[in-house]
Amino acid sequence: MTSSRSSGLAYVSLFAALVAVFGLIPKIDLPLGVPITLQTLGVMLAGCMLGPKKALQALLLFLAALALGLPLLSGGRGGLGVFVAPASGYLIGFPIGALATGLLMAYLPVSSPRRAAVSAFVASAVGGVLTIHICGVIGLVALAKLSWTQALWGTLVFVPGDLIKCVLCAIVVHSVARGLPDWRFGGRAFR
Amino acid sequence: MGSFYSDHRTWLHAVSASLKLILLAIFGTALFVFDNTVVLLACTALCLLFFASLGRATLPARKLLTMVVAAGLLITAFHAYMQQPLLGLVSALRLLSASLLGIALMLTTRANDLLDVLESWLSPLNRFGIRSNALALQLALMLRFTEHFFIQWKRLDDAHRVRTGKSGGFKLLAPLTIRMLTSAQRVADALDLRLPP
Amino acid sequence: MSDAMSPLAPCPIHMDQVRLVRGTTTVFDGLTLRLNESRIGLIGDNGAGKSSLFRLICGLDKPASGSVSVWGQDAQSRTAERAGRVGMMFQNPDDQIIFPTVEEELALSLSPNGLPRKVNCQQAREVLTARGLGHWAERAIGSLSQGQRQHVCWLALMIASPRSVLLDEPFSSLDLPGRTMLDVEILKASQQVIVSTHLLDHVRGFERVIWLDKGQVRADGNGASVCAAYEADVAARCQSQHLNID
Repeated sequence: MTSSRSSGLAYVSLFAALVAVFGLIPKIDLPLGVPITLQTLGVMLAGCMLGPKKALQALLLFLAALALGLPLLSGGRGGLGVFVAPASGYLIGFPIGALATGLLMAYLPVSSPRRAAVSAFVASAVGGVLTIHICGVIGLVALAKLSWTQALWGTLVFVPGDLIKCVLCAIVVHSVARGLPDWRFGGRAFR
Repeated sequence: MGSFYSDHRTWLHAVSASLKLILLAIFGTALFVFDNTVVLLACTALCLLFFASLGRATLPARKLLTMVVAAGLLITAFHAYMQQPLLGLVSALRLLSASLLGIALMLTTRANDLLDVLESWLSPLNRFGIRSNALALQLALMLRFTEHFFIQWKRLDDAHRVRTGKSGGFKLLAPLTIRMLTSAQRVADALDLRLPP
Repeated sequence: MSDAMSPLAPCPIHMDQVRLVRGTTTVFDGLTLRLNESRIGLIGDNGAGKSSLFRLICGLDKPASGSVSVWGQDAQSRTAERAGRVGMMFQNPDDQIIFPTVEEELALSLSPNGLPRKVNCQQAREVLTARGLGHWAERAIGSLSQGQRQHVCWLALMIASPRSVLLDEPFSSLDLPGRTMLDVEILKASQQVIVSTHLLDHVRGFERVIWLDKGQVRADGNGASVCAAYEADVAARCQSQHLNID
């Protein structure tokens, strides 16, 4: 059999690339550099498709590439500077969000395309949106020295958009479940 | 890899990649230790001088730098509005300094050299079963897949256009994902035959 | 079973009573083949099992029963020397090439030796120079033509010095000059080369060609005769389909 090591390598790199692709598609940034991007969709998909461990690896790989200077954060940003920007809380939230989404997806039901899609929505809402926003708020308070209330209100603006991304994630998961019936979500393929 | 490497040789090109990385790490951390506005202003001025000394080599990064400056100005304006102007200034200065240093590194160091340094730093981890040369492989794979996403997206979009007269947009995301997943499996197969066990 | 090889000499490729199941389909059942010749062609319709056969030999697929051995070792064994026993070139070079520059791509094939990347890159450069391609070392893969990329795949395959080389439809994405150059490379190669292809002219001159049909060996022998038999069969099938439609 193709060794699980090679498969793991390829899939981890694939989803790191997906997050990068979403960052390379032109998108808008608001004040403080808080992104309105599709990148969080990439994080959600990584979690749902790969499960906790591999999704975490994928996002860590993405951050490593970013640290090396590649302009993969939406808006063409890259380099070590993005880790000290006020919005870096959200960035650190990426791997944590992927882990959370993956953990949820690993335990939620995925036996039919419909169930998988619903689970994907739940997993990405809690793991993707909630987790990343919590990290982002912490970052804003710590780095941009906003008060907790200011940061919370600031972040809530993006939640509706992020929930739409959760729906998109569910749709993609649904299609993959139908197009690749052998694909096992939430990292079950890698156990 | 490394779209920001500048071919105009500067004094910084000759400095070894590992030294540059270490210094960047030290200065980057120092930026966060100091809260004093005056100190940070001085740091930023130093960084600007340092950056300017690279001369023509900074050309590829002009656009990036503009975005960083814009972000800094927005931060300052936002904090001024919130009546915390000094805080805003401190944040903006940190962002600017760190970015200048990071960009200077990118402009003067080959991606390959950076990877070699990272691999040798990570090599002690080989004892714990973590492979240090896997990093270069994973990064290369990631970039390859990134390129391929766009190629495949274009192909699917062209096919869609030919049949419906319109661009596919987000409807193509699901078929694209499926394609890339099958492609990843083929890549894994080819890789499996060449890697050590 | 009598054959010219002494029982102690490692047989290049030996498949014994192999049964391969994929999903719900039985791909092979009771397949037995000894592949000793230095140039072997593999032909047949799509879905006949040509790629599956290659995957079995490389160890990418595991038989449900029976054994596959390559140069004396089980095909599934994952020793560091596996790359030295068998290598495979896939149909599309873009599925295979990973690194952005030629020397890094070749260096990857050397990685089983456990040496640092820099050392392997240096060796790759030497190999390229020895073939008169020193100027390719730092070239970006993206700047190479399809035929040149296929050649990089070939070099990446050869640099690991495998004793057997499997080529899965290598000609299909190449233009005429590309195909001609690959023919020359195959002629020059000193290892065992097995080529699966739809372009029969490239294997007509081989000493042995195997025609696979739905997982069974339909014909096995001299290149010219097997190719002719396959062509005749295809013509007959198309003729009868044509008559049925009328």
